[in-house]
Amino acid sequence: MPMRIPMHRYEYTKLTPEQIGRALRATENGPTSVSEFSNVLAGKTLRIVTNDGPVLEYSFGANRRLTLSENGGSSVSAGYGELTLNQMVFFSHMIPGEQKGYNVFIDQGTNLVTVFEVWFSSGIVQLEGTPNEFTLDDREVQRQIYFGYVDNGQEPPEKLHHYTNRIAGKGLYWKQDTGIETLELYASVANTNFVELTRHIDKLSWVSPSDYVLVNDNTFIYNRTEVEFSGIHTCFVADLFKCEQVGVRLGFNENDELEYYMFRGTGKVVGQLAYLEPFDEHGLVPMFAQQNPNPPKGARTTYRPVRTFRWMSDEEVHEAAERRTVAFASGPNNVPQVVPSGHNMPFSDILVGKEFTLRFDNGGPVRDYRINDKFKLQYRDHSENVWREADYRAYEGADNLAWFSHILPDSKPRASVQVAVDFTNGLATSIESHMGTPYYGNETTYRAVFGVVEMEGIEPPLYTRHHFTDELVGHAFSWSYSDQLTSMHLYTTPHSMSWTIFTANQTMGAQWCSPCIYVKLRDGVYLFCQNEEACNGVQMIALINTNISHDCGFSFNGGANGVSLSTTGGIGRHIGKFDIAEYYGPKRGMQA
Amino acid sequence: MTNSRKGEKPPTAAAVDNSRRSFFFKVGAGVSTALASTAVMAGAVPRDPDDPALRAALLEEEQALRKLHRAFEQAIDKGAYDDVVEMFADKAEVLFNGGVFANRGDGISRLYRERFRAGKTGKRIEPAPGFELDAALQQERIEVSADRLSAEAVFPYSIQAGEPIETETSLAGMARLHGEGVRTWWEGGVYKVSYRRDAVDGRWKIGRLEYATLARADYRPGRTYAMPISVARLSATYPEDPQGPDALVPMS
Repeated sequence: MPMRIPMHRYEYTKLTPEQIGRALRATENGPTSVSEFSNVLAGKTLRIVTNDGPVLEYSFGANRRLTLSENGGSSVSAGYGELTLNQMVFFSHMIPGEQKGYNVFIDQGTNLVTVFEVWFSSGIVQLEGTPNEFTLDDREVQRQIYFGYVDNGQEPPEKLHHYTNRIAGKGLYWKQDTGIETLELYASVANTNFVELTRHIDKLSWVSPSDYVLVNDNTFIYNRTEVEFSGIHTCFVADLFKCEQVGVRLGFNENDELEYYMFRGTGKVVGQLAYLEPFDEHGLVPMFAQQNPNPPKGARTTYRPVRTFRWMSDEEVHEAAERRTVAFASGPNNVPQVVPSGHNMPFSDILVGKEFTLRFDNGGPVRDYRINDKFKLQYRDHSENVWREADYRAYEGADNLAWFSHILPDSKPRASVQVAVDFTNGLATSIESHMGTPYYGNETTYRAVFGVVEMEGIEPPLYTRHHFTDELVGHAFSWSYSDQLTSMHLYTTPHSMSWTIFTANQTMGAQWCSPCIYVKLRDGVYLFCQNEEACNGVQMIALINTNISHDCGFSFNGGANGVSLSTTGGIGRHIGKFDIAEYYGPKRGMQA
Repeated sequence: MTNSRKGEKPPTAAAVDNSRRSFFFKVGAGVSTALASTAVMAGAVPRDPDDPALRAALLEEEQALRKLHRAFEQAIDKGAYDDVVEMFADKAEVLFNGGVFANRGDGISRLYRERFRAGKTGKRIEPAPGFELDAALQQERIEVSADRLSAEAVFPYSIQAGEPIETETSLAGMARLHGEGVRTWWEGGVYKVSYRRDAVDGRWKIGRLEYATLARADYRPGRTYAMPISVARLSATYPEDPQGPDALVPMS
């Protein structure tokens, strides 16, 4: 059965080294495979020399058994699996009695080799010496990559396999011989957005750290480790001429079952995003090395936000909200923001002088508004029939289309609304936001309600409404909130997205992801809403106008310092599009 | 641009031998006797400024101070802030952006090891287009006192300055993963430096350093234009501002 609980909400068991060690006994005979193993290494001996890594001396016997000596040490015997892809031969094995093994990719044409050492129970400590210090989960597979060659007594080659940015921005659909289907969007040199099309019921996208190694112009080696989730590791070599892959999956799934199998797969390129680094930047150096020339073994650039996100109860958050709820304060003394910051769109007086009623469908809220000021409004919710005053900020997100937000004073849990009112078409959409999710009091919850605006001179439609949309799915936009803060949003699925931070030279770097919703207001004009779940709980609610490549909107969040509603917005660039809509949506009847 | 060649380690405070002992070695045997007497006299009765031996000694001190300043610039350019701090006297002070950072082990350490490191401040970059200093301000000036126990100097600077983007958004947190999340700009001006000779080891130390900023612009290397920007003066002292100064300079 596919997973139903989102990976970032799933409580993975903290497997102990002893539990992991016991489970790994099953690997002593090597991995399994649905496809028939190849047998090109049987009877051979190989001496693999790596740069800054081990010397591995292998003898391959019959029945998929090998012996290995590391750095001239004593030999160990292990079962292995082997698959070939063109000139590449890939074999994988674990070392009995140890919680480590090797995935080895050999180019038989050049004798160049890429070796992945993989291991469990690393004991790696992060944020050492800080209050947020933590140790990586033992179930999280670690990897260290070594580049080398098969030593046949020849002169060591001058060029080895190497890291690359040439896969960055590419997207592939893969189907393994196991029947497992994934979408993998390589929108960073250090991460992957992956969508489990068969393993997860909601087809959300998640992010995992990855490495990309170039073998030749059409062949690359790849891995991802689902850190912060199950910790499972996927590693393969792929040929982009034929879109074929051979690889291995190693680790514990959400049911704590050990997966150690090799696979073949076929795929399809689904698109390419532009990558924005200088043309003479080829990504030869892994991203973490830019900051740390001597990274420790296994180092990778990994965003682990939930490790530092302090859980708060609903009551704790509400107490904080009672002490301090602020809207549109821009300075340390709660100075009201009257001028948008950075590259946001200007605040608009489009609502000044207007009185109208927003009536949302299906018993949704009905609110009267009377607005005579650019920054203060009065509203009356029909459920309480009391006029209230609130600070607000409005944009004109498209012609004659107001986009505004305010706190609902005295609400519990503390709530806000973000409202699009289309005075041309008589339509309205409200994103109803409040503090608290089933998981954290200091996360936010949102829902979209659709309806109409009733105002003198407007004849609202009976049936036509704004509506959810997948028109943005597959698109990527960079959003520059200021000249020094840009994030790329990749709209990965109809219900999720990811964001990518650029490095100093505009290489696509750190990534994270969240569920989200998309609403279509007009052609080229959308609402986008996400809560950074299991991250920091902050909600972003933006109007995206692709006609002017700009977004504008609001940020709503709460925590120990109270609840805050603020503004945000940036200049956009369209970075590209993946053609992936066909992979989403309900299955047709009778489909397996 | 830096003065160090590729692969060459930038000199550290300790590596820059500006002591009187090295001075004697470098001047050579022919003048050592005369300079030795000068050295003995240092700090005593002022000498005749036309005395050739004194003039030679002063020139030598100037060179030593120039070398010390180059070491300071290179260390800060490389982000070797620990080395920078070691170039100051114990009771030194630095005036930076309206704040006074006092004492090597306290304020000055806080300024360089914390504020500058967090803001990636100090790296030398070329002047922002249109903001080049006047030729007169690009001149270095060093005046060594006749007793060679103190000196005053002015050096031009053109650096990147910055401060962390103050937000707890995930964007900033992720940017920090690859060493960014810092708002940077270009800053040009002159260093006004007072040096004093350390009584214990005889080395020159920085006694007071003022960043006399003349211009700031929204420039990053590679851009072809720049606009002037303003940066808020420091307004809170330590410990209210954990990286703040010990005192604020009154607005003139």
